[in-house]
Amino acid sequence: MADSIEVSHLIKRYPGSDSNAVDDISFSVKKGEFFGFLGPNGAGKTTTINMLVNLVKKTGGSVEIAGFEVTEHGLEVYKRIGFAMQEIGLDETASAHEMLELHGRLYHLPQEKIESQIQSLLKLVELEKVADKFTSTYSGGMRRRFDLALALIHEPEVLFLDEPTVGLDPHARQLIWGHLRNLNKKGMTVFLTTHFMDEAEQLCDRIAIIDQGKIITEGTPEELIKKNKVKNMEEVFLKVTGHGLGNEAGNANASDPYAKTMSR
Amino acid sequence: MNTFFSDLLYLSVRNIKQIWRPLLALLPNFFIPIFFFAVNSASFRAVSMLPGFPADSYLKFTAPTALFMSVFFSTSNIGIELVLDIASGYFKKLTIMPISRLAIILARLSEAAVLAVIQGGVVLILLLLIGVRVNTGLLGVLAMFGLLILFAMGWSCVGLIAALRTQNPRLVQSMFIIVFPFLYITTSQMPKELLPKTFATFASYNPVTYVLEGVRALMIRGWGDPAIWQGYAVAGAVLVVMVLLTLLSFRKALK
Repeated sequence: MADSIEVSHLIKRYPGSDSNAVDDISFSVKKGEFFGFLGPNGAGKTTTINMLVNLVKKTGGSVEIAGFEVTEHGLEVYKRIGFAMQEIGLDETASAHEMLELHGRLYHLPQEKIESQIQSLLKLVELEKVADKFTSTYSGGMRRRFDLALALIHEPEVLFLDEPTVGLDPHARQLIWGHLRNLNKKGMTVFLTTHFMDEAEQLCDRIAIIDQGKIITEGTPEELIKKNKVKNMEEVFLKVTGHGLGNEAGNANASDPYAKTMSR
Repeated sequence: MNTFFSDLLYLSVRNIKQIWRPLLALLPNFFIPIFFFAVNSASFRAVSMLPGFPADSYLKFTAPTALFMSVFFSTSNIGIELVLDIASGYFKKLTIMPISRLAIILARLSEAAVLAVIQGGVVLILLLLIGVRVNTGLLGVLAMFGLLILFAMGWSCVGLIAALRTQNPRLVQSMFIIVFPFLYITTSQMPKELLPKTFATFASYNPVTYVLEGVRALMIRGWGDPAIWQGYAVAGAVLVVMVLLTLLSFRKALK
């Protein structure tokens, strides 16, 4: 199977820093794979995902998405990816329907396709009743759900999700998980960063754990559990990183001036 | 339709909708030029008696300033809209969509053009209601708005550059104050012949002077005045240079 994401010797050093926020990492994600990218706060997850989508300039190494190098063929990459960011960026002066329509048009979808996508996505994230209200009136959970819908409007080949279920109630989380599984079954490659180990364990085919800018382990959830002789992914995480999910010790990111923003 | 132009159209429509969402945000930009116009035209009435004054009343002389000011002030909104998109994270979404950066910038400038027409239009109607006349007629009104739109688009890039470079809403909002030196070190209040020498020298290096004089020529002088084409040339040059600088700032906005 071809690789959807191919990362080779990726490095990021922020200006003014004396160490690397992302330190020479390499990995690949196969087409149709559900890949989890885990790590403690400030470990370099968001910096990595932002380099993969060309939002942050890489200091070194190469990134290919769907066969295109991100910095050289940005527009080709952008056509093929969707990204639900940790920081939910919505147009507060527009409604969900208006935003979905605009994004459909900017991805050059035919009008009938835009309409059908809007209806199915709004239904999926259970926002049909508030579709014509300004997004500024939405609750945190509604915003998070809508952001995912927005990332899916053009049915991307590769979907990047940075902490997509933070702030969602259990019902909404289950809803999103179910839909992500369906999308993945249909062939969409998913790259997920999350703090929720149950989420990673249930959804991901393969997982990499990053700490202090380096990938410290990689494998299927079963392999990682077996290899570390523990019961679940949470224990794997604690064992390989040496600290808890909310503990930033050792990652405070002396190297990364944006660490605070990233760990919000 | 070419994707560049369709993207530009869709983004422009989105930005233009922001102008009246909320509608109240437009009010201060009407209030300030009208306030200055009322105060100045009453305070400096006697100035028109001075030998060499180029109009038969100070009100007529300063009316183009009020019109220009309303458009000049409107330009600060454009940078603020962009920095709000940056602060909310929406701008990042736009930058990872298959659309050109030039389309994103020009869509903001089309918002500046529409805002200039709305704000300038309302102020012009008020001026006409109090008896001000445009000497060059309807065609002159169109030429005045052409010039004002060109300038508004160029000057709005100042806010866009500040938004892209600082990504800080408070800082971009405070950039509003640079309008004042650029507006007042011109012939906005007094003809060049009556300005102190140093002041007149500064005014002759200020691009705003040429655009303002172009508007004034169309309103109170006539078609033969060279200030009209000079105003267009300066506003066009400002637009080209500022769009290039904005594109450069866009590139540097990536960390």
